[in-house]
Amino acid sequence: MPALPLASAKRHTSKRVYPPKPAQVYLFGTCLADTLFPQSGLDAIELLERQGLEVLFPQGQSCCGQPAYNSGYEDEARVVARHQIKQFPLDIPIVVISGSCGGMLRHHYLDMLKHDNDLEVAAFCERIFEFTEFLTCVLEVKLQDQGAPERVALHTSCAARREMDVHITGKALLEQLGQVELVEHDYISECCGFGGTFAVKHGDISGAMVQDKVKHLLATDAVRYVSADWGCMMNINGALEYQQEAFRGEHIASYLLRRTRGDNA
Amino acid sequence: MNTRANTIATDGSKYEASARQFRGNVARDLANPQLRENFRGAMDYLTDKRRQAFPSEDELETLRRKCQLIKQRCLLKLPELLEQLESKLEQNGIQVHWAETTAEANTIIAELIQRKNGTKVVKGKSMVSEETALNDHLQAQGIECLETDMGEYIVQMAGEHPSHIIMPAIHQNKSQVADLFAHNIPGFDYTTDVDTLIRTGRQALRDKFCHADVGVTGVNFAVAETGTLCLVENEGNGRMVSTVPEMHIAITGIEKVVELLDDVPPLLSLLTRSATGQIISTYFNMITHPRREGEKDGPKEVHLVLLDNGRSQAFADEELRQTLQCIRCGACMNHCPVYTRIGGHAYGTVYPGPIGKIVSPHMLGLEATKDLPTASSLCGACGEVCPVKIPIPKILLRLRKESVKAKGEPLVVKGQGCNRKPLEAGIWKLWSRLNTSPVIYAIAMWLASRGRWLTPAKAGAWTRVRTLPKPARRPLRELVKQREQRREGQ
Amino acid sequence: MNSAKANILAKLKMQLPAATDAALPAEPAAAPEVRSPAQNVEQFVRLLTDNHAEVMRIKRAEIAASVKTLLQQRDINQLMCGSGWVDALQEIEGEISLNTFYPSIDGNKDTLFNSVPAAITGSRCAIAATGSIVLWPDASEPRSLSLVPPLHIVVVEQSAIYNDFGELIRKQRWSEQLPTNAVLISGPSKTADIQQTLAYGAHGPRELVVLLVE
Ligand code: SF4
Repeated sequence: MPALPLASAKRHTSKRVYPPKPAQVYLFGTCLADTLFPQSGLDAIELLERQGLEVLFPQGQSCCGQPAYNSGYEDEARVVARHQIKQFPLDIPIVVISGSCGGMLRHHYLDMLKHDNDLEVAAFCERIFEFTEFLTCVLEVKLQDQGAPERVALHTSCAARREMDVHITGKALLEQLGQVELVEHDYISECCGFGGTFAVKHGDISGAMVQDKVKHLLATDAVRYVSADWGCMMNINGALEYQQEAFRGEHIASYLLRRTRGDNA
Repeated sequence: MNTRANTIATDGSKYEASARQFRGNVARDLANPQLRENFRGAMDYLTDKRRQAFPSEDELETLRRKCQLIKQRCLLKLPELLEQLESKLEQNGIQVHWAETTAEANTIIAELIQRKNGTKVVKGKSMVSEETALNDHLQAQGIECLETDMGEYIVQMAGEHPSHIIMPAIHQNKSQVADLFAHNIPGFDYTTDVDTLIRTGRQALRDKFCHADVGVTGVNFAVAETGTLCLVENEGNGRMVSTVPEMHIAITGIEKVVELLDDVPPLLSLLTRSATGQIISTYFNMITHPRREGEKDGPKEVHLVLLDNGRSQAFADEELRQTLQCIRCGACMNHCPVYTRIGGHAYGTVYPGPIGKIVSPHMLGLEATKDLPTASSLCGACGEVCPVKIPIPKILLRLRKESVKAKGEPLVVKGQGCNRKPLEAGIWKLWSRLNTSPVIYAIAMWLASRGRWLTPAKAGAWTRVRTLPKPARRPLRELVKQREQRREGQ
Repeated sequence: MNSAKANILAKLKMQLPAATDAALPAEPAAAPEVRSPAQNVEQFVRLLTDNHAEVMRIKRAEIAASVKTLLQQRDINQLMCGSGWVDALQEIEGEISLNTFYPSIDGNKDTLFNSVPAAITGSRCAIAATGSIVLWPDASEPRSLSLVPPLHIVVVEQSAIYNDFGELIRKQRWSEQLPTNAVLISGPSKTADIQQTLAYGAHGPRELVVLLVE
């Protein structure tokens, strides 16, 4: 595995000034984790608490608005966006456990709400942190790996990679795990084919993409893959299950918690 | 004019029908393993070449920013630069013609050729002439119009269209080309040796250059300051067709004008490096005059046709205007996971891939191209590599928005609102209600988790290659609440 | 004004306030690579060689002899040149028949295409950054000389190598005056249009030999 691309790591860190470690954070759970994969949300909370933070989960939060936004229904998405902003009133970081929702909240809200009170929107966007970014750049966590030696692959969603640089922070976290060897699959930066409504509207193209992604992941000798994005994982895991493969993806929050707690797989 | 007598249009409108077939084309081409292998191989090659051509990320970023700003400046001054270009070119002896539509451009070109009693035309690579379906039009007028770029030559022989804007025959491998030559070139000794194949093409075409009446080319940059037409190429056919015949006709889109000669070197450097990973093409050809008194070769007449074909519509909107920054390098398609899977023909448009998705709606209308903006996972690979930093994903989103716009909104893109369905619009309204009302949302979550056994096994396209996950037994919000209550109880 | 022009310009103008240069964002200057003259020569030679050209570094007095040798190696016994080369190449006549270009290409295309195996031209200057030779063809050295014959021999002065294209354009003030045709040549004609396999001699010269004169 090639060394961390320092140039981009630098570019990344120079792009954003990180605050000191706070006492409290909000968790943005995302609608997918809320509905389908809640354990990863609980695991993220536990990891953050183990770092000494108090985690607040506003019950009024729902979806970041991406599905409507990506379908061209911007007005509908905008209403939802304003609603989310209201749910997180305290001036503390908002940690998002999915890279693509993070990109939506951090970058697209600015575009979509440019006619609203700019300051309030900008301040909200500035408080958004993707989960691995937050652990790495704000908390600067030190992880103690308690698990058995194993090889894993890392899949980073495209939004996370291109809007949030998660391929750097996610990798940096996994590299802290002494017993874990990160293996790189072919076409690592290529999209898995999820793309929200794209997977339904153009199911055959999306299907061809996820089949390739699965092929490249299976071609490694990793025992699982790890990701910070439930959209991709729902897609890739769904294809793996369809193909009756045992190989699966695990959310990075759950994986990190498990490794540092020493739980078995 | 008799062109409308045929059932097939001999202008750009013929692509309206093929763009409408997008979904069928996709199904057809996804099912062709040879085609998918050809594209994957070609894209791997091109992306790798590009990567090697930009060893320094900082240099690349500075150059991209520079070229983005150059193109934006030139677009901001577009009308005045076009007028300056025209007057400079005419001072230099090059005649300028304006065409709003593809049919107009074809008529202008056909008349120029007929005025010379020309019957034989050789063409250098020009995507704009593909846009106008010039070959069809000239053939209908009894004028032979032969493609001379090796890739285009192959494609024309096969009765196809280019599947890539830089490498037109990328969808074929060498044995397919060999088969094609065997069927079409008398005396061709079957071989898959690429050198021999190229030599065969060279031999066939040399005679054509020699005897052609008119040469047609595209233009990569038209310099307003000096009245110069710049052509980028490797094969030398562009030089041939702009040097040997007595008349040279260049055709280009109005967005290709640049203000200064100084703007050319950075754009050229980014163009060739992004396209094929070459630090420069074999030939960079700058044409400023027709043959002058005393000169012994070169065309006696040079013409430039400036084509609009929907570009002014893109121009009218600040966000969509960025589409016109494009320098046609092809990098966006080379890096596109969708293009790599479905290939260039599936799009049914002249320009395939990401740039095709954002430019074709202006040429053909959004109605004919309504499946293109949605056929993207918005992965962002195209925007990341585009040398002039066109935010392609954002423009795709914008076109999605235009395509579901309600009736009665001001016209931005011809055919807007074409994807608006009352049911879908209603669903998003409901969705927005659901996501802004905590009570309804919580009830919905409760219902979903308790009704998880109702999850269907099949859900349209999704479950054709995947399983569908069931809602969790309890949603995260409830689990978090329970957890908090447990703690308080402790 | 014809109507298409008027319509297009009207549509474009409707959208824009007149752009003023002052309001435009500053364009970053790309830092030029810094090379010494010797490094420029070296880079020029390396890039051209990588691009499949043959580069011979010679003294001025050796031009004719080098031309003769390289033609004889290829079993070529005739060479076309511009009128300016006749004197300099006199010593090869006899063994190689030297022809100048026709009074005009018109009426002579068949012979040019079919019976001229090699041509020699001079050059205006060269570019190190991209390994390019710059030609400004003129009445004495027409455009097709460097294009149609399968072998193109080009003489480049080592002292005329510029750092990059941008610098060349500015120093030589190209924007004030351009010839009918200016062309940058960076290797023999080539194509990768069939299965990304590189093949030389697509339509232009199959071979490019550069005589780099000290
Ligand atoms: S959109 Fe950008 S990447 Fe695509 S062809 Fe145009 S310039 Fe190249």
